[in-house]
Amino acid sequence: MKFGNLVIAGIVTGSIYAVFAVCVAVWYRVSNILNLAVGDFAMVGALGVDNLYRVKGLPLWAAIVSTLAVVGVFSYMYDQVVLRLALDGRRQMEGIVVTFFFTFALSFFIDGVAKMLFGTDVHAAPALWNGASLSWGSLHLERAGLLVLACAVIIGGAFWVYIRYTLGGKALEASGENAVGARIAGIDTKRYRRLIFVGTAVIAAIFGIVESPITGYTYLSGATISLTGFLAAAYGGFRKPGRALVAGLAIGVLEALLGGYVSAEYGDTVLYAILAALVLAWPRGLGFESAVTQ
Amino acid sequence: MTGLGGFARRTERTGLAGLDGLTGVSSRLPRSLTPTAVVLVAGAVIVLVYGQQYTGSVFVLAACYAIVTAGMAVQIGFSQQIAFSQSVFMGVGAYGVAMLNSHFAMPVLVATPIVLVGAGLVALLLGSVVTRASGLALAVATLMLPLIAAGYVSSAGYLGGVVGAPLTGTLWPSSASTSTTVIAVADGLIVVIFLAIAVFVASRILTSDIGLELFVLGVDERTAAAMGVRTPRRKLELFVLGCVFAALGGAAYAGTQQFVPETLVDPTSELALLIMLFIGGRRSVIGAVIGALVIQYLQGASNWVSVNILVVEGLLLTVVLLVDPEGLAGIVNTGLAWLRRQRGAADAAASPAASVEALVADGTLATKEGGQWAIDRVGAAGATLAGASAVASGADGGVAAGTPLLEVRGIGKEYGGLTVLDDVTIRLPERGLFGLCGPNGAGKTTLLNVIGGSVRPSQGTVILDGEDITRRPPQERFYLGVSRTFQAVHLIKGRTVLDNVAVACLASHTSSIVTRVARSKLDDARDKAARTLSDLGMRGIQDREVSSLTLESQRMVELARALAPNPRVLLLDEPASGLSEEQRHRLAELLTAFGERTCVLLVEHDLDLVAQVSERIFVLSSGRLVFDGGPADFRASPVVNSLLVGR
Repeated sequence: MKFGNLVIAGIVTGSIYAVFAVCVAVWYRVSNILNLAVGDFAMVGALGVDNLYRVKGLPLWAAIVSTLAVVGVFSYMYDQVVLRLALDGRRQMEGIVVTFFFTFALSFFIDGVAKMLFGTDVHAAPALWNGASLSWGSLHLERAGLLVLACAVIIGGAFWVYIRYTLGGKALEASGENAVGARIAGIDTKRYRRLIFVGTAVIAAIFGIVESPITGYTYLSGATISLTGFLAAAYGGFRKPGRALVAGLAIGVLEALLGGYVSAEYGDTVLYAILAALVLAWPRGLGFESAVTQ
Repeated sequence: MTGLGGFARRTERTGLAGLDGLTGVSSRLPRSLTPTAVVLVAGAVIVLVYGQQYTGSVFVLAACYAIVTAGMAVQIGFSQQIAFSQSVFMGVGAYGVAMLNSHFAMPVLVATPIVLVGAGLVALLLGSVVTRASGLALAVATLMLPLIAAGYVSSAGYLGGVVGAPLTGTLWPSSASTSTTVIAVADGLIVVIFLAIAVFVASRILTSDIGLELFVLGVDERTAAAMGVRTPRRKLELFVLGCVFAALGGAAYAGTQQFVPETLVDPTSELALLIMLFIGGRRSVIGAVIGALVIQYLQGASNWVSVNILVVEGLLLTVVLLVDPEGLAGIVNTGLAWLRRQRGAADAAASPAASVEALVADGTLATKEGGQWAIDRVGAAGATLAGASAVASGADGGVAAGTPLLEVRGIGKEYGGLTVLDDVTIRLPERGLFGLCGPNGAGKTTLLNVIGGSVRPSQGTVILDGEDITRRPPQERFYLGVSRTFQAVHLIKGRTVLDNVAVACLASHTSSIVTRVARSKLDDARDKAARTLSDLGMRGIQDREVSSLTLESQRMVELARALAPNPRVLLLDEPASGLSEEQRHRLAELLTAFGERTCVLLVEHDLDLVAQVSERIFVLSSGRLVFDGGPADFRASPVVNSLLVGR
């Protein structure tokens, strides 16, 4: 039953990648910016709750609410100050490269602040659902893993319904396809950019809180999460949240299987080599060309 | 250089002593030598003064990183080929030197060139695979490199794993009796020399004719190919250059630190390098060097800043990018330009002659100058063209009358199940202006792309002067004399009109990047471009940045660029779109003059314009050729009227 357990573990990690990939892809669709800071919000969520609950002694619910509030307010402020200056000013930032580096700088900044506030040790938010891991025969699934899966399904589903079936979702799509055209059609593109930026930051924080009991976070964990989310989003062509979700799951399962069967040491190395080979062999199919031209 | 010269003269006149020395130096030396000299002198002074102190060691470490970022400025900043390969090749250089030194007791200075050659070969192999990808695909594929390398290094025992690899020797070939001060200073001086070489090579390349090629490549790969740039080759060269610079930086790092930590190849150090590049200024070599110095200085400061370096880097990068996307170098340049304008304004007020000059430069008069287009001078342009085509076909005494110069035979193109072109056959002689019309979506631009080479047909052949060129890439067709303009203006923003035209006059396509370190031929290309521009009466606007021009002038610059290489076939895609009635009238005269000298295929929606200038007109509808005849038939044809006029 090694295979079954590896697949379960893979799906749990994969759903983490998937959610971050969806966050990256949805915001890229609205703003044409790749957000590398999204994983750092997850780290803030996990370490923030841990700090308030364990060190400051707040009740758990209060710790969660205030952490999420801080993340929300901070991302709102960031959009109002930095993104507004960078994107809506008289001199438009040219190209994907420069705008990308704003979120990159944001990631460094958040990590640095987290180091100041939370230190460098591994911490995690308290488990929300205590108990022994769930078992069916020889298959095991940790309770936190089930929560992660549930969150992934709910978040992925909500995004899908929002984009597919609501007017807001259509407007959001239009903002990314052609910002000028969308503005002419009466869509407040800046509002959607802000909405999704703050929304994905809060979602990432929630996810960090739910997931951290499994892996444990340090102030540097955010970058790793963002990176994997970014990769999964890349295989979804950056603007297709659905494909990003599938790619995230696939990468997670592949990683678990390679780690279990090939080599625990070189599993990741093989995984990255496979991912690189895929991009080079099939760039058009993976949607890179369209991401570049738009 | 003319700008700088003018500045120097003005400074003399107004007697601004403070700036005299600076401009004096830059007007005597070639521009690319100034940064090298600054790096060499300033670096040597710092090493000699602070050599054995902490500041000195921080500076030397920063210089190691600066070697890497100088290469990144060429590859990532200037040419916009984003490849995350630097930290890995820094590791290749550092570990390579460490292995040769500790296992074979080879002096570091001997090991360095060996490792550089090795790194170059590895980069060549790796690059020939990864540089097939463009843009984001290249970025994502190379992003795997540090991830793979980090995993490999931490588990590879012979590299020292997580402990790292020590070296027994130093950069300066020292013995046990050499004092540490001598080692520190000598090591530092060697690193400064390495850095100066890196800066020299990088700035020579960027200011050469290949630098112009690279700039176009960075802005738009397709335009670059249409202008004859061998994009796959340049991308590979850039990749190798970036990797070799990184390996040199790594070797210097290993030689001075005497230890290679595992974290050197981490994705985090790749990110740190990128931060240095973007803070310093991504397109400027000296900016990249300064970026590395600033970040390393902050990191080595051992106070609140170095403890919270992440916060500081994040804030600094955000603020710098908000002020200027070109980083610190951009901020300094803007400052200098502002200073220069202030001087210019002061001068203009002082002398009436200068004020006219300034007005032209500011564009108040240039519009008029550009608008005149000096039709009478087109004769001269035509003469140049005629001379060139005589040379081109001179070998066999010219194409015999009746043999077409360009033949498009049975061309078909399908996208998925959609037929865009269906069995189109067109023959064009050596000279004359030919119109190509048709409703939207008829396949006009696709046909131009098929002739230009950016689209490969599903069926049929394209023959130029008896030779089948169907499978030739766009850049090779450009060498054979196929030149084109684009429907949307594809000028290179951030460059002057002169440089935009010079792009089409480059003779550098077959040369390797390294040949430009010795000698640049940019001035030859600029001279040729200047001749074309003055033939077209556009000399007044040649030093202006293209995006500051009116649409009419931009289209004229595109025409000049297509005309400058003396093409045998000139493909024009809607040159009149967006122009006023009066401007179209001037364009018509110009086009007629072109058609007398060379073969022009004109795609245009303005039927009156087409009928006025063309000797023969082709009409496409849903991918099929439905009309082929002279302007009189064109006006009378019921097919044309029902299709295009709606009668």
